[in-house]
Amino acid sequence: MKSQNESNSDRLLHQALREWEVKDRPLPPRFGEQVWRRIERIEAQAPATLWTQFLASISNALTRPSLALSYVTVLLLAGLLAGYLQARVEKAHTMEALSSRYVQMLDLYQQGSEK
Amino acid sequence: MKRAWITLFGGILVALLAYFGFYFAGTARSRSLEKSQEPELAWLQREFHLDPAEFARICQMHEAYLSGCAERCHRIDMKGEELKHLLASTNTVTPEIEKALAESALLRADCQKRMLQHFYDVSRTMPPQQGRRYLDWVQGRTVLCESHSQMHHSN
Repeated sequence: MKSQNESNSDRLLHQALREWEVKDRPLPPRFGEQVWRRIERIEAQAPATLWTQFLASISNALTRPSLALSYVTVLLLAGLLAGYLQARVEKAHTMEALSSRYVQMLDLYQQGSEK
Repeated sequence: MKRAWITLFGGILVALLAYFGFYFAGTARSRSLEKSQEPELAWLQREFHLDPAEFARICQMHEAYLSGCAERCHRIDMKGEELKHLLASTNTVTPEIEKALAESALLRADCQKRMLQHFYDVSRTMPPQQGRRYLDWVQGRTVLCESHSQMHHSN
């Protein structure tokens, strides 16, 4: 029953659209673009959450080539620095462990006393 | 919008690649040391800039020293066990205990003497400057280190 009503209303809408026409004057220039701008304006006026505002500001900022390049460069440098520092710590740790193991191999008595 | 997201996640990807690239490049040598057959000796070679001939001689000395060292440690352990039994059977310092303590001390002194001799032999095999550096370092970590003096006090 419901689907029958829906199909009837669709049919009526299609019929109305087919019969509808602008008489005596043409559509204004760039009509479609103006419609989309109105839609964007209405969406912008809608209450936005902090998160969507944040995302929008990031999105806007990253579309600027200079900011996008700076962002990627900063992240690249941060990655390089973090990798270098972590590698240095890891390397120092490994070297210290190996030197301690060398000493323990030679001084078995010390090894026993540390247990 | 799409371009902004590509930049955002592309930047994060670049940062991760840079991090792991530098990390793996920076730890490549230490990882190769750990994977070598004898990492401790490989470390010694790298730390004291030993050429292959010096390293081969030091490896031979190391093997010879370790075989004797295990035997000496075993004798020290045996003497320790003997002392433990003697101490458990009395509440005074008997001549047997005195003798066992003296023998134990002699064994330990012998052990340290041979260890020091090994250090000197190894240092002489190294280039002079590295040899001095090795001696300073290894003596500081063994005969001169705090834990050793603590060990002697606690005994």
